[in-house]
Amino acid sequence: MSAPLTLAVPSKGRLQENAQTFFARAGLHVVPAGHERSYRGRIEGIAGVEVAYLSAPEIAREVGAGAVHLGVTGRDQVEETVTDWPAKVDLVAPLGFGRCEVVVAVPQPWVDVVTMADLDDVAADFRARHGRRLSVATKYITLTRRFFAGHGIADYRIVESLGATEGAPASGAADLIVDITTTGATLKANGLKTLADGVILKSEAYLVASRVAGWSVAQRKALTAIFTALSQAAARIKKSSS
Amino acid sequence: MSSDSYAPLKALIAGAGYTFVEPPIIHDANVFVELAGEDLRRRLFLTNGGDGKELALRPDYTIPVCLHYLATGAAKRRANYAYLGPVFRHRGDEKGEFLQAGVESIGRSERVAADADILNLAFAAAKVLGVARPTVRIGDSALFAAVLAALAVARPWRRRLARAFGDPKRLKALIVEADGNANPPAADDALAALADADRATVEGVVAELFAASGLGVIGGRTADEIADRFVEKAVLAQGIGERARDVLSEFLAIAGPPATAAAALSALARAAKLDIAAALDRFKKRNDAFAKRGIDVDRLVFAADFGRRLDYYTGFVFEFQRGKRSRGKPLIGGGRYDRLMALISGNQRKDAGETVPAIGFAVWLDRIGQRRR
Repeated sequence: MSAPLTLAVPSKGRLQENAQTFFARAGLHVVPAGHERSYRGRIEGIAGVEVAYLSAPEIAREVGAGAVHLGVTGRDQVEETVTDWPAKVDLVAPLGFGRCEVVVAVPQPWVDVVTMADLDDVAADFRARHGRRLSVATKYITLTRRFFAGHGIADYRIVESLGATEGAPASGAADLIVDITTTGATLKANGLKTLADGVILKSEAYLVASRVAGWSVAQRKALTAIFTALSQAAARIKKSSS
Repeated sequence: MSSDSYAPLKALIAGAGYTFVEPPIIHDANVFVELAGEDLRRRLFLTNGGDGKELALRPDYTIPVCLHYLATGAAKRRANYAYLGPVFRHRGDEKGEFLQAGVESIGRSERVAADADILNLAFAAAKVLGVARPTVRIGDSALFAAVLAALAVARPWRRRLARAFGDPKRLKALIVEADGNANPPAADDALAALADADRATVEGVVAELFAASGLGVIGGRTADEIADRFVEKAVLAQGIGERARDVLSEFLAIAGPPATAAAALSALARAAKLDIAAALDRFKKRNDAFAKRGIDVDRLVFAADFGRRLDYYTGFVFEFQRGKRSRGKPLIGGGRYDRLMALISGNQRKDAGETVPAIGFAVWLDRIGQRRR
């Protein structure tokens, strides 16, 4: 048998539940292969599709590398993880869940810092005063570099953060952060505020397809089957709500 | 090309009094990141030591050669170093490992003569490598600094503008912004309470916010410096004035052969009553020194807005290209970096630490090697 189309879906958390609901609404039921805790699965009723359970960053990376044909992941993950992403990943459709913003947040006591231009001044001045670069804790290294460069900010350095980024300024691990936020409550609770022009990206979950994967005839056929089910469901939902 | 085929280049450089050194390839990544910032970091080949320390393959020779200088003798002594070997950078469609050759002339206080000797040696190096008629751009950030000082631009604006020097687009945009009509973005509650407050009040509010937010200030920004800058923002809001904006725009547009540029600079200084005599004099003396060494000065192209964005470059800079074939990528890049030694010796405070005169250039041998033979 020819190689199947690989569909990657989130392996944990809210994103997994939402993705599962999204597919189920179109009659696409993802079932684990073999036992309950398997990391592979299939879609009931559609042949030639293999489902892989991966983390959201892995899905972005694998779709960008062409190892996976189709996936559900956040736009933030695509832009962060895949170099030159527009050439490699097609954002097929936004899915309406997993909404968040990637923002620049500084300590609330920094009353003189409201905009990125302020941050630029502070970064340059900080180095002259303290003999080190202003440090930014984040797991969004690519997005941070791109955004800061766009605002002409050079006098800073990134401290890679692998979790609980918003606590970095309080613990002294970094001076400010770039992180995702949905309501801003977590930032506030940690004594931080976002900058007026500090929204790097408005993100949500997307159905994404690889532009660089090998697409055999059989895989295209499976893709058509999935898309047909999804668009029929979309039409049904539109009809019932009008 | 094998490195043996660079024997004539090595002979030329050694004959000019430079000693070849081979500093380590692997360095503490911090050295490069602290000096050149995140923008360079994304181009670094990074790895980790057994102790988890972040290490980098050298992205150029200048910083490693300066480390060598500082580690091997008395501070501020004169030394002439040369190098030829591999450097490592992620750089898109070009190879990550490539050869660079170059020189660093350190500790020579006759700056004009040193500038001229270095440019002259760069011409000779280009010739040995088969680049007979390069296009050579020159710039001088000291002129820009002198104009800013003569215009008495307020300190926060002077720093902003000086930082953008070397990025013509950004600089132009900043000058447009400096009209004093900037719309301040909507203030948050803390800021609204601070409108028209004096400095002591501001510092008090900041201290309260630190206490309330549970954030420490270990090694970070203090209430004192935040209050300082808050007050300074009133100055920023005023802009730099119509005259300064006009003069800066006129200055930055000056370009052409050095003699024409010098005349234009003199005319601008006279018309706008700017005292930039010292910087202008050095610029002219340097051009004379070029001519004395046999450089065809009229073929150099000066641009008032040409500079490097790395803040350790302090004056004369130059760049060799080979017409359109270079596609904007320099074959040779050089310049004066009097501030680098102080920054490396662990003292990044710009106002502290004395400068050590230093100038050098690097040849991108891989780009030159692409020529038809």
